[in-house]
Amino acid sequence: MRCVLIKMQKLTHVEGTALTDHVIKMLFQSRIITILDFLQEDVEKLSNICKLSIPQILEARNRILTKFSAPVINGSCFIDKIRKGTISIKSGVKNLDNMLNRGIPAKTITELCGIAGSGKTQLALQIAINCAKETHKTVLYIDTKGDFSALRIQKILEKCQYSFKEVAAIMSRIHISYIWTMEELVNLFKNLKNGELVIDNLVLLVIDSLPSLMFQYLGEDNKLGLSLLNSFVNYSRFICKQLNIGIICINMQTRWVDQDLTDVEDEENSTAYKDSFTEKRYRCLGRYWQHIPTLVLELEKIKENDNENNSGIKITVLHSIDSDYENRHCILCVGESGVT
Amino acid sequence: MSNYKIHTATELWQKETCLPSIPTFSQNLDHILGNGGVQLGSLTEVLGLPGTGKTQLCLQLCASVQIPKVLSGLNAEALYIDTNTNFTPTRFKEILTASLLKCQKIEPSYLFNEEEALDRLHYINAFGIEKFCACMNRISVFVAEHPRVKLIVIDSITFPFKEGISVQKRTGLLFRQMADLQRIAMEGLVAVVLVNEMSTRLGLSGGAVVGSLGDAWAHRCNKRLLLSNPSELGGSRLALLLKSNNAPNLVAKFQITREGIRDS
Repeated sequence: MRCVLIKMQKLTHVEGTALTDHVIKMLFQSRIITILDFLQEDVEKLSNICKLSIPQILEARNRILTKFSAPVINGSCFIDKIRKGTISIKSGVKNLDNMLNRGIPAKTITELCGIAGSGKTQLALQIAINCAKETHKTVLYIDTKGDFSALRIQKILEKCQYSFKEVAAIMSRIHISYIWTMEELVNLFKNLKNGELVIDNLVLLVIDSLPSLMFQYLGEDNKLGLSLLNSFVNYSRFICKQLNIGIICINMQTRWVDQDLTDVEDEENSTAYKDSFTEKRYRCLGRYWQHIPTLVLELEKIKENDNENNSGIKITVLHSIDSDYENRHCILCVGESGVT
Repeated sequence: MSNYKIHTATELWQKETCLPSIPTFSQNLDHILGNGGVQLGSLTEVLGLPGTGKTQLCLQLCASVQIPKVLSGLNAEALYIDTNTNFTPTRFKEILTASLLKCQKIEPSYLFNEEEALDRLHYINAFGIEKFCACMNRISVFVAEHPRVKLIVIDSITFPFKEGISVQKRTGLLFRQMADLQRIAMEGLVAVVLVNEMSTRLGLSGGAVVGSLGDAWAHRCNKRLLLSNPSELGGSRLALLLKSNNAPNLVAKFQITREGIRDS
């Protein structure tokens, strides 16, 4: 598995060095095929194979190393690049966009978390609809627990009084893939990275939900799940930067109750105890994941508004790279016409 | 290894809207479930305290799956995985006969043979975690060999995991089984109904009595139906759709009669 993940690049002609196509052909004949092979092979042996001098080989090696190592960039260029590059994807949900200033940030991973039934899927569906509607671009929805409902999308759009033609056009821009294991997910992302899977005009990728896949590895002693999660994170980071898209991951929260037996100071009855419970909520997926998303939104269901089957969701920014946003919150409403 | 497929929402909509459902014989229940019953390809969890009618509802569904084609039924078979000796053949026979007689009343040309009808229920008793896991492993083969099975009932999902397994291992195992089951359900267009029990978690916000198997499990199920029998309603029972991906959380009133599940 590992070997497959580390991409081995084939040796090609490097400009300004003695590595001409002819020399490379000779190297291939001696089974030196990838760049890694070339870097690892003994210099003298290479010199013999290529019929080049040792300094020429060393020069070629240095060139390759500079070409493939991480680039150096100076501070002002970097700031410029970030300023120009920061774009947001409008979620189309007014309160949410106001809270986040513009919308869901592109080029990074965003997390929606909340306990079961708090409206994570509903919000994700709505964001997918709005993105396809406003930007005329494509949304890829990765469904890992059969939660996607095209009927629900059609009903929301119908309620918002879109014509049949418009509904069909919007829905044709929402693409869905059912994924059941972490390996399949990593494989899909790998293909997206390599360009084997091309989705035109992709603007947003939603994964609903990661724990459904990751929990399949719970209780096993090997760290297979963690290594797959790591590959997934690396691919996602690469893809969202390269394709300039936003990635939304749905995570869940679980509640744990601590029972504290506290001594109640009572003069008459000194042995009285009072039970007190404290409920804690944890985001799932372990400690590694906690700092991966640059924006974490917590969803919480609030008291039902009795009229017309509507209910409310409170959204809080749990974590953001921009600390101004932290602890901001807004209220959304879920009903027949979707999340507004 | 590229075994994923990319669909557009339009394609899925066409698929979703023409998928048939298994009716519960209670119009109220069918209405709140959102698709006129339990839709093929979906996974539904039925929750409730003991004696609220979980098993009765499952037996009714096993009978409903046999509604003939003339009445736009499925004319299919069911698989019942019993982990807790909840299944009683005599009661099933009662419900099945009553349901099919009702069909005959509407469509007099429909004739049925009681014995043949009973043969269309496949029953597995999977007591204990080992048997249960073995059975779950074989389900894909079973469904492939019996293409007419359109309903799988697991009554109950909690019971095999009561002891002999740590919480972490249980969650891992359950999530793997659910992923397999859902893949089978979606690819083979089979409806899956899981029965879950209730448990008490003291000090939890939003009520201490919750479904078993924890918050992670609650997240995994996309349709959850809670049954209850409040004493002030007499014989009537209530069903609340706790969670759904495409329908609002509504309450329905139904009753359990000698013939099975009916409107009250």
